[in-house]
Amino acid sequence: MKKFLVGLLLLCIPSLLQAQQGYLEVTAPGNRQMQLAIAQPVSLFGAQNADIAKGISEVFNFDLTLAGPFTVMPAPPSENRSGIRPGEFDFAPWQAAGANLLIKSGYTLSADSLTIEFRLYDVSRGRELVAKRYSGKRGDLRKMVHTFSDEIMLAVTGERGPFTGKIAFVSKATGNKEISLMDYDGHNVQRLTKNSSINLDPDFSPDGRELIYTSYKRRNPDLYRRELFSGTEARISARPGINITGAWSPDGGKIALAMSKDGNSEIYTINKAGKQLARLTNNSAIEVSPAWSPDGSRIAFVSDRLGKPQVFVMNTDGSNVRRLTTSGAYNVSPRWSPKGDRIAYCRQTSAGFQIFVINADGSNDSQLTTEGSNEHPRWSPDGRFITFSSTRSGKEAIYVMRSDGSGQTRVSRGKGADSHPVWSPRWQ
Amino acid sequence: MRKGMAGLVTVLFCGALLAGGCAKKEMVKGEEGVVPPVTTEKPSETPPAKPSIKEEAVKEQPIKEAQAATETGKEQPVTAQAATELEKVFFDFDSFILTQPSRDTLSKNAKWLLKNSQVKVQIEGHCDERGSDEYNLALGEKRAKSAMNYLVTLGVPANQLSIISYGKEKPADPGHDEAAWAKNRRDEFVIIK
Repeated sequence: MKKFLVGLLLLCIPSLLQAQQGYLEVTAPGNRQMQLAIAQPVSLFGAQNADIAKGISEVFNFDLTLAGPFTVMPAPPSENRSGIRPGEFDFAPWQAAGANLLIKSGYTLSADSLTIEFRLYDVSRGRELVAKRYSGKRGDLRKMVHTFSDEIMLAVTGERGPFTGKIAFVSKATGNKEISLMDYDGHNVQRLTKNSSINLDPDFSPDGRELIYTSYKRRNPDLYRRELFSGTEARISARPGINITGAWSPDGGKIALAMSKDGNSEIYTINKAGKQLARLTNNSAIEVSPAWSPDGSRIAFVSDRLGKPQVFVMNTDGSNVRRLTTSGAYNVSPRWSPKGDRIAYCRQTSAGFQIFVINADGSNDSQLTTEGSNEHPRWSPDGRFITFSSTRSGKEAIYVMRSDGSGQTRVSRGKGADSHPVWSPRWQ
Repeated sequence: MRKGMAGLVTVLFCGALLAGGCAKKEMVKGEEGVVPPVTTEKPSETPPAKPSIKEEAVKEQPIKEAQAATETGKEQPVTAQAATELEKVFFDFDSFILTQPSRDTLSKNAKWLLKNSQVKVQIEGHCDERGSDEYNLALGEKRAKSAMNYLVTLGVPANQLSIISYGKEKPADPGHDEAAWAKNRRDEFVIIK
């Protein structure tokens, strides 16, 4: 398969040879994008349904425009034969239009049941790359399309896309900060907490089935762990003082957090039940916001031990502390990329907060945002995107961008301020 | 979980991306009469693909909102009211050091607390909106602790006092200028029962 993919990429985009390694640096200078055509979805049985067809095209358009490797072609050419399976249509009009890739979709709607069959073609070679059929309810349309978008990313880049993921975030729609969940593109918002106090800092377990967050619902900032699908919840750290900025370890066994039970805010780890307490820092300064490296060997965190908050890195036993950020007077909210090579963080500048990315060795510190105040960067599970909150359009809202800062797109449409997004892992 | 999911979204076939760039093979298990298999495609020797949708079936396992009835309000074991007799104290930007005016205010507050020794008071530490919210939660706590420690040195029993940090979550003034920020960098005193 790898050989085959490389063949495709050689044909399409000679400069994208590094896709052989399974990761496409899509926006590096000089890279051309693949022209991707989305054929008008057709009904495979029964009457055409304009809403279904439009829905499919819109979700593909949003996902694959954001994705990076593609330019989604605006208008499909007219076809004499518009079937979706090999042999049921002609490649010629698509080749003439300059398409490299083509998505064909056929749906069957029967009462509330919806089946959609998707096929991705390499236009220049006239071959099918991947074909899937999904069945569900009509309301599952977006999920079916996101799922095939993930497949397209796998076929083209070697790594599955994150478009079926959800974003947990803090919503102030009710006037109080409550935890909510939505599709990554802002659709299907669900409220998770409803306690009218202050709820902060959501973080998913590595299997995506549980969420930790800090809540003031018992009049102290305590850490809670909640099963997403049952709603079952446990208060796992209610030690005196703050129990904040919980971060789940990559293997799911531990939670790093900041607590002040010993005098001032320090970094600790606990297990999922809130036991097996280990203290990692011991300093009269403020330490908050631990972030695990994906191999679980190191933790980045914020400390103002040198006067102002800066990002530091230590081993998970608290040893070998070194300063990571050396530019800027106020650097907070570090998050390690899923591949471990980079750390996103947030810097206070004269123009509000801005999101930066720095290599884990401290090199190549670069600014990604400029418009409005931008906070809380979190990576998508494939590392291709960063979600964050921004005030650029007024109240804080959730945005998504590619990890090089391109493609910044608003996704949340809440009435109140939305902040603290975190992209779910892939559900296994 | 997987079972429930399979019920919701079934992948009937899956294929095409097979090894080595050789001819595509795929298994088409159509719903009869709806999706006839394409005659030019050879049936696959490989077993039908396993369901490839790995998302949780949200529909079948609804994500529950917290039990509203038990969560709303009732879980808060204490009620708080502003201690109007106790004045707020204010801080400089990114600082938890007590200024001289703050010390003077705390001296007055200490006298009242010593006279009203049955009253339990919680000191709330607050910050302006400029810092990050996580860092401000830690900073607000240091501000509350500064006041508490000073009151204790003035003779107020420690068990009469407690602290909580709200970071920048509860601004006194919703404005976005220095005047508002100065009002928000504060400790407040509330009576808890």
